[in-house]
Amino acid sequence: MSKRLGNILGAATLVLITVSLWMIFAWVPTEAEEGIVQRIFYFHVPCAWVAFAAFAIVAVAGVFFLWLGGQIWDDLGYAAAEIGMLFCTLMLITGSLWAKPIWGTWWTWDSRLTTSFVLWLLYGGYLMMRGMLEESEQVARFAAVVGIVAALDVPVVIVSVRLWRTIHPAVLVTRQGGHGLQDPRMIVTLLVSIAAFTLMLAWLLTLRLAVLRARTRLGAIARAVAIAEFRRGQSV
Amino acid sequence: MSAFVVILTKDLRLELRSGTSTIAMVALAMLVLVVLVFALGPAVARGPEAAAAALWIALVFAGMLGASRALMAESENGCLRALLISPADRAVLYAAKLAAAAIFMIVALGAGAIFTVLFFNLEFSGALPRMAPILILGVIGFAALATLLSAISGRARGGELLLPLLVVPMFVPALVAGVRASAAALSGAPLGAARDWIAILVAFDVLFVAAGYLLFEHVIGEE
Repeated sequence: MSKRLGNILGAATLVLITVSLWMIFAWVPTEAEEGIVQRIFYFHVPCAWVAFAAFAIVAVAGVFFLWLGGQIWDDLGYAAAEIGMLFCTLMLITGSLWAKPIWGTWWTWDSRLTTSFVLWLLYGGYLMMRGMLEESEQVARFAAVVGIVAALDVPVVIVSVRLWRTIHPAVLVTRQGGHGLQDPRMIVTLLVSIAAFTLMLAWLLTLRLAVLRARTRLGAIARAVAIAEFRRGQSV
Repeated sequence: MSAFVVILTKDLRLELRSGTSTIAMVALAMLVLVVLVFALGPAVARGPEAAAAALWIALVFAGMLGASRALMAESENGCLRALLISPADRAVLYAAKLAAAAIFMIVALGAGAIFTVLFFNLEFSGALPRMAPILILGVIGFAALATLLSAISGRARGGELLLPLLVVPMFVPALVAGVRASAAALSGAPLGAARDWIAILVAFDVLFVAAGYLLFEHVIGEE
């Protein structure tokens, strides 16, 4: 059943991504002030949305794992963290590519940039912990706790870096609001692109979950085989 | 409550007799300050802004050292198992460990603050008492995070590497707020001037002490 769901999601993602690519590169008008570079916005915003949604899933899956238990919640958290990390990286890269011609710098310690970068570090730590503790049986509980604590950190990070930047106006003053989606086609393109990326998130989650589930099953089979071989060795 | 007192007094007595981790933390805090003074040069390494930054860097490094020791010392001789099979609630164990770690860090940071005033050419009058509440808030937040997460990192083979990777990004908001508030305090401003920053520190502490208290039972255990 989950395989069929995956296939449906995959096909829908493919169709919608194709449509959104056409819209971004052919249909939507070029922004008057920023020029062609502004089109990266239609990738950048969906990446940010997917990253934030995925990180939220990590925390929710963590709560459910500690509350109800069950391998599926741990797998979901793991898969969401990996996908979130991927899109968070893409968000930082696309943002940086846009910032160079528009702000004249690859990076500035603007509050949104700083928050995104701290998020990237937080979930980088989460994934590294998973990597280092892979053999441990408690890794699922640890991951749930770190996922929850990281999510609790996010609002404090947002408040503190916003205050930090306003107190410190020496940094380049930036206003993200300057995108000005004057043309309704811009809004439609953005919404289609966000929908396409959201479908991609769901599709990637089902794929990753299937792999993780297969890995769990393989581990159980390997254990059963080892036990069977050990018993045979004893009886001979 | 009594279990809390018993575990805390045990840790304090242990520390009073050996003094190892507090002395190591004081030494590390001093070294961090010295390294920063050398690295920044005498022209930059002066005044409240640089001093506040240096002191909080020292807090992070010294805290990392102290926090990783708190639980590791227990597991060395199987004491952790004894604590876990005792009737004491695991959340109480967390609270006691957090309190002990915070006390050691406060002692180390108190020394660090004195060194900071000396090294960065500041005035003693008023600066240290104004710094005290800010540093204590920072220490509590750091100890709350580090005590919870060191229970996880202690289980990994390269745990000493893992702890800073987890703690430092999570500590960022407290670091931002703490450095700003400390810079204001060191430059002679009244505490009220840094009200917003102190509010962030308080929120951070409440959030992570509560989170640690509730989540600790899920991360503590054998092996």
